[in-house]
Parts: sequence; structure tokens; C-alpha cells
Amino acid sequence: MEVEKGKTAKYLKEKHIVPKKVTEQLKQFNRTKKSILNALKEGDKTVPQLAETLNLSTHEMMFQLMSLLKYGLVETGEMDDMDEYFYYKIKSDGKNKS
Amino acid sequence: MSIQKQMKTLEYDVLVVGAGIAGGESALNLADLGYKVLLLEKELSIGGKMILLSKVFPTLDCAACITTPKVSEIARHPNITIFTGAEPQKILKKGSHRFEAVVLQKPRYVHVADCTGCQLCEEACPVSVTDEYQYGLVGRKAAYIPFSIASPRAAAIDIDNCTLCGACERACPTKCIDFTQTPEEFLVKIKSVVIATGFELFDPLKIPRYGYGKYKNVITSMQMERELAPTRPFNTVLRPGDGKMPDNIAYVLCTGSRDKSVGNPICSQICCMYSIKQAQLLMGALPMADITIYYLHIRAFGKGFNEFYVQAQDMGVEFIKGKVGKITGKENGNLVVRYEDIKAGTVKEAEHDMVVLSVGVLPNQGISGVFENEELQLDPFHFVNQVDLMASPAKTSIEGVFVAGTASGPMDIPDSILSGGAASAETTSYLRKESL
Repeated sequence: MEVEKGKTAKYLKEKHIVPKKVTEQLKQFNRTKKSILNALKEGDKTVPQLAETLNLSTHEMMFQLMSLLKYGLVETGEMDDMDEYFYYKIKSDGKNKS
Repeated sequence: MSIQKQMKTLEYDVLVVGAGIAGGESALNLADLGYKVLLLEKELSIGGKMILLSKVFPTLDCAACITTPKVSEIARHPNITIFTGAEPQKILKKGSHRFEAVVLQKPRYVHVADCTGCQLCEEACPVSVTDEYQYGLVGRKAAYIPFSIASPRAAAIDIDNCTLCGACERACPTKCIDFTQTPEEFLVKIKSVVIATGFELFDPLKIPRYGYGKYKNVITSMQMERELAPTRPFNTVLRPGDGKMPDNIAYVLCTGSRDKSVGNPICSQICCMYSIKQAQLLMGALPMADITIYYLHIRAFGKGFNEFYVQAQDMGVEFIKGKVGKITGKENGNLVVRYEDIKAGTVKEAEHDMVVLSVGVLPNQGISGVFENEELQLDPFHFVNQVDLMASPAKTSIEGVFVAGTASGPMDIPDSILSGGAASAETTSYLRKESL
């Protein structure tokens, strides 16, 4: 079989069915990502503030936000007045990245 | 035997199982002496647990700075062949200086030699799942480089979480991603085997009263290690429960060690010292923080260890001789530690905003079942038995099979390297007997 380099996913698609859980997970991540980025567009926020806006647990928000930080969509801002929580903001050059 | 006929046959002098610091040291010594070595690693990168640590005790040298030159030397050595994502399925002794192993290599879906580590696939991948190399503190993509100092520094596809969208392939400039890869089995003929399968960390979910999993600001020492490492998941040390910068951290020593109730009665040898190390590092990272260590006995037995302990005390780390009974969470994420103050003879409670469980060392038991026609004996604690501990520490119950590092019991990094050296010396002497 002649394999077309750079387009091999289609060969595996014939044999391997992507579990529903995986596609659901992706949809969920995209929804959360979008709402976090939308919330941050309105102003810099801390983890508890974001969690409250999105009605997520602070733990879940921390995980998602830190992932977005790692993926280069969000960056760390100043600390709050009590020196407890950091503010996070949209990365200046990260707005249009997927 | 029909499968074996289709398998690709490989020949080496020595098979080293496990490419952590002990296995790596053994492989390197043997390769330097001219022996051909096949080094197997089940993970996607060599370097074991050490490559993921922040600093080492008692010198506070950077762990990555010690590991990476060694790892590069192993990766570049002409006498060492490395298989990542590979494990032995079975090992048969065919006679003196004759072993046959069946090795299964899982597909990485990336041609490592062509991958430049540019991470464009990572950027293109839409999936986000839990990053096991950051011990669950943050996410990673399904097309990913395990961690920045991984060796090989090449991408891999997490096929279980991949949606097969093909975005990574379209982004890859070298076209090194290949979804047509399949698991491969090899028949490996060797003269000797070194077991360096390392250890497992105790899972604190087995002690529900400590609240791990339930209260998100109770973390394991390995998670704290990641928070302190240069390749850390957060921008600084933060509570995973809500992102607050902690200022009052407690350590619970002997979590899963010296505890018959969880089936591990022995001391893990490293927890006291790594906790003291982390306490010192935390005082550097968070100068305003209070650190409390709840201990049963501080076992500071190595060279410079006691001085390191005293140094932590001088820096202001509070040591409380106490057995922690229960940890309960408060609404603000803080934790109440209920403990027996052994010196005062009373039960007390104290509030902390983060608790680190100093988890112990457990045996990695899988390897003994791989030997089919001879028994690889384990000791009473299920580590590989050293049959002649004083005279020949690497010797196991099977002639020609040697053990290195924490596969034989809990030990620290210098001892693991020393043990890797001993295993390579004993393997050499065994191999030389053949040519006599």
C-alpha cells in the first residue's frame, strides 16, 4: 500500500473508531476555553472570580486556566491587593490562536 | 511459535530493562566497555523519575542539570540502542549466557528521527487532556512532547485521546507523523539481563482519612516537586484547588511507608530528605510562608544529611514529632490537620492552607512475571531479591540476571547510581566468564 505522507490519519480512521468520550471531551474543552477567553475579554480575573463567572469549581477552573496558560492563550498578570491570587489576562498575541 | 517466526530478531550482549538513572548508568558503563546494549523504557522518554525532579538533596543541585548530560550521553552512545514505549513480554533462559526476550514496542505514531521537536503539532492539536508528566496538575495536547527536556525530544500521539482530525499532520513541517504505525514485537537474543525497573509511588487514595482527591489542596510530594521544578505547571507555587499562593504548608511524612495498615511496613529512605529539601526550596520560592513537617523520626543517615536537616531548622522550618490522624477541608480551601503530638502526649489540631503528603516508595512488581522458565525471587516486600547482598549486591536468583537501583529496594539517587555501577560490573564479570 502506498502511504500518503502527511495525510495518514485517514488510514487509521478505517480501523479505529474514536470513542464518544473523546469527542465529548473535546467539545467540553472548546466550550470552557471559549467562555474563559470571553470572560477575560471583559477584564483581568483571578481563578475564584473566573470560577464564579462560569459557575465552575475553583479546582476545575485552575486546571483549565493553567492549561490555557501552557497553550499560550492566557498570561499571568498582577497579584491582587491581598497578595493571594494572581490576575490572568488574554495573551496579547494569543487572541487568534486556536 | 508461529508469531516468533514473523518477529524481527535482534542480537545484543545485554538487555537493560528500565532507562531511569540506574538502568542508564548500567547501560552506559557496559557500552563504554564495548558491549552492545538494548535499553528498554516503557515511557516515552528516558531519564526515569529523576529527570522530573526539581533539585537533589543535600546539595540542592539542579536535578535536570545532572540528568540531562547523562541522558544525552546514553542517547548518543553508538553501543546503546534505545526502545521507548517498549516492555519485555517474556524472557526465557535458554542456557548459560543465552537468553531470549520478546519485546513489545507500542506505536508512537511519529518517526522520531524525522521529528525536530518544533511543537507545531502540539499547537495545532485541538484536544486537551490531563498531563501525566505534570502529575495531573495541568493539561496537555493529544499530540505532544512529553516534557521539554524529554529524550528523545520528539512528539508522540496519545491515540486513546486522539480524534484523528489530522491537524497535527497538516501542521508538521517534516511529515514525521504516521498513523499507520502498529505495535511491533521483537525477538531479542542476549547474553545477560539487567533489571532496573525502578519503583512506584504510594497512591494516597488508599488512605482516605488524609482526604487526597477529595480536598484539592492536599497534594503528593511528587506534585510539589513538579511545582518547584523549572519546567513547572504553574507560574509559581500555587494551590491547585483555587490558585491561591500558599503561605502555610504542612508535610505529612511516612504517607504509605512504615505503615502495616497499607501493607508497606518499611521505611522509604528518601521521604524525610526530599521533604526537607522541598521545605528549603519553598522558603526560597515563598519567603513569607510557614512550613511545618509532621514526622515520626527524621532519618538523616547519609553524608551531609543531618547538616541539611539542621539547616532547614535554622531556616525556620517547624518540625513536629506527630502522627497525623485525619485531614479535613474547610470552605475556604484550608485544611485542618488533626495529629497526635508525640512529645506532649496530646491530640492537637492545626490549620494549614496546603498539605503535602510525602508518599513512599513501592515495588514495581510486574517484572517477576516476565521470566518464564526460571523464578525471579522477590524479597518479603516484593522488591527483586538480592541473593548475595553483601558480596554481590546485583546478583538475583537467576544466573545472568542482575538488578540495579530501586528495583531492589528504596534508595536515593547516589545509591541508585552506585547500584547501577555495581550491576554493570557484575554483568561484565559474568560476560567475561563466557569467553574464558
